[in-house]
Amino acid sequence: MKRFAAIVRVTIRQTLSLKRALGLMLLAGSPAAMYLLYMIGTRGTSARNIETAFETSIGMTVGVFMNIVVPVVTLIIASSVLGDERRDNTMSFLVLRPIRRYMIAAAKTTAAFLEAFLITGVGAAAFGILVGIAVDTFAYFVPLLVGTAIGTAAYAALFVPLGYLLKRATLIGLTYVFIWENGIAAAVPALASLSPWRIGVSAMAGLAPDDFFDLVPSDFALGSLTPGAGGAVIKALILVALSAAFMAAVLRRRDLAT
Amino acid sequence: MTENPALVADPTVEVTGVSKWFGQKVAVSDVTCSFGPGLTGLLGPNGAGKTTLLRMLTGLILPSQGEVLIKGALPRAEVDRYRNIGFVPEESALYNTLTARQYVAYAATLTGLSDPEDAADRAIETVELTEDANRQIGGFSKGMRQRTKVAAALVHDPEILVLDEPLNGTDPVQRAHLIGLFGRLAAEGNTVIVSSHVLQEVERMTDRVIAIVDGKLAAAGDIAAIRRAMSDIPYRVLIECNKSRHFAAALLDSEAVYSVSVDNSRLRLETSDLLGLGSIVSRLARDLDVRISKFAPEDESLESVFRYLVGGR
Repeated sequence: MKRFAAIVRVTIRQTLSLKRALGLMLLAGSPAAMYLLYMIGTRGTSARNIETAFETSIGMTVGVFMNIVVPVVTLIIASSVLGDERRDNTMSFLVLRPIRRYMIAAAKTTAAFLEAFLITGVGAAAFGILVGIAVDTFAYFVPLLVGTAIGTAAYAALFVPLGYLLKRATLIGLTYVFIWENGIAAAVPALASLSPWRIGVSAMAGLAPDDFFDLVPSDFALGSLTPGAGGAVIKALILVALSAAFMAAVLRRRDLAT
Repeated sequence: MTENPALVADPTVEVTGVSKWFGQKVAVSDVTCSFGPGLTGLLGPNGAGKTTLLRMLTGLILPSQGEVLIKGALPRAEVDRYRNIGFVPEESALYNTLTARQYVAYAATLTGLSDPEDAADRAIETVELTEDANRQIGGFSKGMRQRTKVAAALVHDPEILVLDEPLNGTDPVQRAHLIGLFGRLAAEGNTVIVSSHVLQEVERMTDRVIAIVDGKLAAAGDIAAIRRAMSDIPYRVLIECNKSRHFAAALLDSEAVYSVSVDNSRLRLETSDLLGLGSIVSRLARDLDVRISKFAPEDESLESVFRYLVGGR
């Protein structure tokens, strides 16, 4: 456990510089900033009522925050936790120690999740607070945080190996987010279990009040998934375990040439 | 003792018929050698395949063909084997945001030492980096970075130490200190394998050399023995004397001498028979009343051996 914690600690320290954290915080905070502008812009006008504020918040949550901010922030962080080790030639330091490869992979995925959720979680909390103020209820606050955490974990599971295996991981990751999440997985609902966005949304939907689906097209946002935090947690954990097992196999078999 | 000079009697690291190719490029070709307690220099020009071979020894790279065994086992098969191995890679391999102490303690923690901080302090002291131990590695000079890597490789007292160009970037004082350190570790019974393309460095560290040229084992053994084995290549001898031109003409008449060049009082000879030349020189010197102030083979330096090995490339 000491070694696992050490890898997590050093990884976070190495990959989350203050500059990067601030930049990603700005990105994660952008839905909250946009919502604040919306609140200020519609204050005292007929366009501003609880229904429209609620409708706007759900659209931004599902369509912007969960669909763009969470994957992009997680992509940038997760692709660097092992990718930077490869690029900086520090992998040999890590793998020439008496540590199981699965532990390295699991520690790296954990570090990616913690780092990314530190950013996405703050963004979700800021957004959730503003929505709560605007719609007079905080019933969506916890579902948003849980959905964000689960989405972040699922994306981290995908992007950690991507960052290690591919040189243009960010570009390919972005292509994945837009083509897979919004194209292929949307067109084939049976693939929803492989869509971290939909897994996160299903967790949120399972915890949110019933009126959530009045505003979200469930066939697009959930595909074949049923709302429920428990199922979403299990799916995310399966993705994390598969990712760590795959990365462990890669670390065991792949050469580490200079 | 085994007859093959590339093999040692009590090996801790065994390399058998190892080749490695990357696509069309053959980096290492059919190398068989072994390493045991003591210090062995792995010598070769840049691009000879030293780094690839060392990375195969540690398990970072798997051979395309052949086998590497560390204490009888494949290095990658059982990660616990890494408790016995310390590796200093040629590349940076450092976390720039950490201090030297944190980096070495991290290595100690990952190796499972019970008191990583204490072990780190001792390793840092060994490489004489204590004063800078709390500075971030990102601000270190090349020599300090090298010493930090050496400290991290030593922190768990490994039985086998693999060092890829460990003296790169170090100043003469640091170099002398590290050479002494590697020698001490070898004398304590550890297997120390040091690669270098700088001949004088290897020569200062050890007599036992494995020379790699173009990915192939070019020579192995102690430097003088390698030179002696190259019977088809003439020995070069330097003689300093008076009456040099007169003496050179007389030497040329001898069958043992292939050629002589004269540079003031210095003669440079090429001969196939070093022992025979000694008696001819002393006889002729006596007969011609020549005073010899120096008689030295120029060939038993590593540099000349190496020049022969890579000659023409």
